[in-house]
Amino acid sequence: MLFNSLSFLVFLILVLILYYTKLFSWTNKKRMLLLASYVFYGLWNPPLVILLWISTFVDWSAGKKLAIEDDERKRKAWLILSMVVNLGFLAFFKYRDFLLDNFTTVVNSYGYGYQSKPMDIILPMGISFYTFQTMSYTIDMYKRQTERAKTFLDFALYVTFFPQLVAGPIVRAKDLISQFYEEKKATTNQFIWGVFLLTIGLFQKIVLADTFLSGTADTVFGSDKLLHGLDAWIGTIAFSGQIFFDFAGYSTCAIGIALMLGIILPDNFRYPYASLGFSDLWSRWHISLSSWLKDYLYIPLGGNRHGIIRMYVALMVTMLLGGLWHGAAWTFIVWGGLHGIYLILEKLQKRYVPFKITAWNGIPLAFLTFSCINITWVFFRARKFDTAWNMIKSMFYAQTEGAKILDTFTIVKVSVLIAILFLCHWFMRDTSMKDVSLKTKPWVLGVFWGIMVFLIVIAQGSGEQFIYFQF
Amino acid sequence: MQLKQSLLIAVAISIISIISWELYWRSQGYHPTLNDEKALWAITRSKVEDATKEDVIILGSSRAYFDIQVDEWEKLTGKQPLQLASTGSSPLPTFHDIVNNTSFNGTIIIGVTPGLFFSTTYPQAFPWQRPQSKVDFYENRTYAQRLNYRLSVPLQKNLVLMSADEEEWSDDIDLKSLLKGIQMGHRSADPIMPPFYNFGDVSLPRNIKMMERTVTDTAFANSIIKVWHFFGKGAPPPDKKSTMAFFMKDLKRFKEKNGTVVLVRCPSSGGVRMGENMGLPKADFWDDLVSQANVKTYHFEDLEQFKHLKCPEESHLSAKDAQYFTRELAKIMLNEGIVPNSKSN
Repeated sequence: MLFNSLSFLVFLILVLILYYTKLFSWTNKKRMLLLASYVFYGLWNPPLVILLWISTFVDWSAGKKLAIEDDERKRKAWLILSMVVNLGFLAFFKYRDFLLDNFTTVVNSYGYGYQSKPMDIILPMGISFYTFQTMSYTIDMYKRQTERAKTFLDFALYVTFFPQLVAGPIVRAKDLISQFYEEKKATTNQFIWGVFLLTIGLFQKIVLADTFLSGTADTVFGSDKLLHGLDAWIGTIAFSGQIFFDFAGYSTCAIGIALMLGIILPDNFRYPYASLGFSDLWSRWHISLSSWLKDYLYIPLGGNRHGIIRMYVALMVTMLLGGLWHGAAWTFIVWGGLHGIYLILEKLQKRYVPFKITAWNGIPLAFLTFSCINITWVFFRARKFDTAWNMIKSMFYAQTEGAKILDTFTIVKVSVLIAILFLCHWFMRDTSMKDVSLKTKPWVLGVFWGIMVFLIVIAQGSGEQFIYFQF
Repeated sequence: MQLKQSLLIAVAISIISIISWELYWRSQGYHPTLNDEKALWAITRSKVEDATKEDVIILGSSRAYFDIQVDEWEKLTGKQPLQLASTGSSPLPTFHDIVNNTSFNGTIIIGVTPGLFFSTTYPQAFPWQRPQSKVDFYENRTYAQRLNYRLSVPLQKNLVLMSADEEEWSDDIDLKSLLKGIQMGHRSADPIMPPFYNFGDVSLPRNIKMMERTVTDTAFANSIIKVWHFFGKGAPPPDKKSTMAFFMKDLKRFKEKNGTVVLVRCPSSGGVRMGENMGLPKADFWDDLVSQANVKTYHFEDLEQFKHLKCPEESHLSAKDAQYFTRELAKIMLNEGIVPNSKSN
């Protein structure tokens, strides 16, 4: 089920009515939330709920044993079981065809003439999110960094909680399960703020991503021509805006919906396009994933504790796997690799050419970072290397002979919107929406809110899927 | 933070602006109508799974969609046909789907619009991709998508602001279409397509009727004609060999299942008919199809009842003429025993 759909509106209203009715005890409310979460997921593809059940059951069992077991070998075995099941799901459903393709290519390079047949099995929605979330519980249990979930119901709800089930934020057990232990009820202000966040999220998704930007990105990246430099840049920044509004929109909706239930989810985005460098970017973009990768991959790989070379290797491996997490294709790995290179270059710059960020160099530096991010998005969005390479050529060789496929209004529309996006991020980078709203007059906030609702309604949208569902 | 106050203001502004928007577009002559979308097509397609030998399916492009009226057909035959024709589409992908993915062995009426029927079998080409995307949607639609559509129908039937057709008409009033309508110079080397206005009203069960404005407003009809001429000029040459081969293979299989196929050439007139005569002459295309298919066929120019029919925008019949066309076609087929008369049963 998508947040930007009529069925979700009806679903949410029903859940809220049942949640706030006095008929149910807290345990029954949690049962209702769990059932609602399965319905939310199952309305997409009912049989795939079984994967959620398996993941839940395996990690609950592993967590239970890890809590009482002292034998380190047995503890490790339970951890491995959890990893094998969750990563096995990912390998089978997400990476199988990719691995098979690469295997075939390698084998055939030795002249074997092997023919592989893709299995074309459906990719379960949000599998990368819930497997990472549930694995974090087992790993934390193994490292004795979190308490065991008190009941199976609390744990199952942690794995399946519908607002963040299919596209995050990826929440750690200690941050979410403990919230289920005592009855939660949003205060009036929390509830209204939750509705406001849901509106902002839908506005980002339906109006800004799907209505203003997706068409331009689709046209440019769908073209098989060598494009004019301007068209290539506009298509790229359109995608840059689209993916931000799409994903941040989802996270904002998720946080808002959870808040309407009195549950607090962590921020997943903090104005990333005004980042000053790439370490800053990864503390602002998809925060829950980058912190997951840092805690469960970068640090176990050695982090910065074993010298500079080892740190660079750990950084690169983390970013390459981070790229692969997003999709089973070499283009995603290149995207991750570029970010790895950026991070290494930034660390080298800080070591050998340090400089202070001032009011004067801040914006140009943020703009430079934003421009470098845009280059990586080309590989993220292009389905094939040929497309990506053509785009890069157009962007840097400034092909004046390239095909002009965008009309003037589209160029103006995308440029203005992305400029506003960049400036908003710059001015908001050290504050939050909550802080700004506190300083804003209620009627101004109300008018802004009303306009957003109006634009959502007249944009309607055809219920376009969120980009990150496929990851 | 006085959020309650903000919320009240937001609710008030939302209600006022949405009502004003609805009233404005109604004052501009818009009326609520269903969008012609994949979800609607999929509902009709799902009925094929339970269809019997006595059922009739209509395939084809917009001519079969506009010219064969579901309600009129039902009045005469006693059985509602399943309208699966689609605008701007080759009928071949849908025929292929029904032949290969269902056990249906009743009657399939295939509207033959030469420019689309003989256009292509290339999966990425527009006349193929469009119907194939509907077939794929039907195969892959989720329960949530089904529910969304059920919930949206009452809204579409009652609110003008829900107009956002997949055809992306130039007069659609969703935000994306309004933005698309803004022109600032022309940088692309591609020719600009003339504005393409919606000229049909869709209703349940899936059926489309030409809007009366197309008949009464010559300038409006001319704007549609310009679009046909634009398409005609830019169309790639037909691919008779592969389209015929593709169709014949499925036809053979359908006949083996004891199914009946009827080929119908719906009327066209004026410049469109002239263009068809030049680019896809009847003798080379239709007659060859008839001789190879060896099924019952009806060409509007071969039947006295249909010879006089004129299309207001050169390609589709007015609502009144479409009713007449449907009636007469149904009568012929009933008389010839091609479709059973479920009324008398």
